[in-house]
Amino acid sequence: MDGENLGNDVVEISMVVNGESVVIRTSPHRTLLSILREDLGLTGVKEGCGVGECGACTILMDGKTVNACLVLAPKADGRTIVTIEGLGDTDQLHPLQQAFIDHGAVQCGFCTPGMILSAKALLDENPNPTRLEIREGISGNLCRCTGYQQIVDAIESVVKREGGEGS
Amino acid sequence: MSYPVFRYVAPRTLQEAIGFLHEAKRSGKKTKVLAGGTDLMVQLRERRIAVDLVVDISRIPILQRIERMGNEIRIGPTVTHAMLASSELIREYVGVLSEAARTVGSPQIRNQGTLGGNIVNASPAADTIPALVILDAKLILTGASGERSLSITDFFTGPYQTVIETDELLTGIVVPLPPPSGRAVFLKLARRKAVAIARMNLACMLYYNRQKEVFEWVRLCVGSSTPRPVRMTSAEQALIGRPFSDRVLQEAGRAAAEQMVQLSGLRSSTAYKKPVVGDLVMRVVKLAVEKG
Repeated sequence: MDGENLGNDVVEISMVVNGESVVIRTSPHRTLLSILREDLGLTGVKEGCGVGECGACTILMDGKTVNACLVLAPKADGRTIVTIEGLGDTDQLHPLQQAFIDHGAVQCGFCTPGMILSAKALLDENPNPTRLEIREGISGNLCRCTGYQQIVDAIESVVKREGGEGS
Repeated sequence: MSYPVFRYVAPRTLQEAIGFLHEAKRSGKKTKVLAGGTDLMVQLRERRIAVDLVVDISRIPILQRIERMGNEIRIGPTVTHAMLASSELIREYVGVLSEAARTVGSPQIRNQGTLGGNIVNASPAADTIPALVILDAKLILTGASGERSLSITDFFTGPYQTVIETDELLTGIVVPLPPPSGRAVFLKLARRKAVAIARMNLACMLYYNRQKEVFEWVRLCVGSSTPRPVRMTSAEQALIGRPFSDRVLQEAGRAAAEQMVQLSGLRSSTAYKKPVVGDLVMRVVKLAVEKG
């Protein structure tokens, strides 16, 4: 093995993004966040802090929330990715998206995509969370304008609708 | 935001990974091991480290397992904090580690960040480390010439400093099953309730003999307060053989605070941490005794 050429300076990343298979060839020293935004045009994934604290870049990777800014791009090879663009569109909103509108849980909107994906991951795992569990579920997503009350209300309204009365 | 340029490899076997580390060291290349990336990606972004080659160990199946082998639980280094928090095996036998893992970062960080990463990054505020110290965990380091095993307390040499060689990999965290009589508690003090780095994090396991009304044995570790994680032996000694009383608890708290100052020296945070560590030690011991 030649030390100079140890490892790869180009990687191939095959992944399923919002239901579609994509293959990207790129240099490895990039984040999944930049691939999604710059190569695939999925600008619903936001870059906030870039160091994994704010949650604006939250996506689902194999069904689990991760901060895309902390995922080295080649780590996405073979994975299934869902961004906010994969949840619903303007004609047919996801129930969480509609609930955020109905409860005034959106102001500037920068945290919203990540917030909704955290909520989705929570509900997929625990369809009937308490308010405290909802707060824990979105604890990795910062909102600096709306405040969390309306956001928790929005998520709770989806729980109530899906869970049925008294459940 | 651009990241420094480096080459990348994601070996599928342990032998391959060790081979890359060994070869990189031989040819003078700077290597970083990537597991979950929650610390490494920040260090790269802020260009705090230089690196020629990133070796991604997250695709090596043997390093992702949690299993019971006889009287030990063996945990692979790329087991995430979320896996630790939800693993039945961990919750049943070493619940204090599950409690500690549940307090790390956010759900997103717990889905990505790994136990091995938390250990090797060696932050004094790492939440899993005090739990592993009181569980008497051993670490297995594997290199080209074989493996060595050492106690977790011998692994750290200072803040963010460890004994691991650049061509070695942490390949296993071995936790002996604690004595059934032990009662364990993890306690974290931080500036916020969630997504916060610990100001102090304590783990304690003890056996309080209610018939004899004495502490039979105690293991206590206070994280984020000493240059490297240690057992608070002076506080342990202040409890062993004595009854559960306010006076005994206060003596243990004072002993822990003194040991902390002895090990860390007088720092700007001492005025705050000294009384707080004493108080938290009393609290964590009380909680462990109350577990029955």
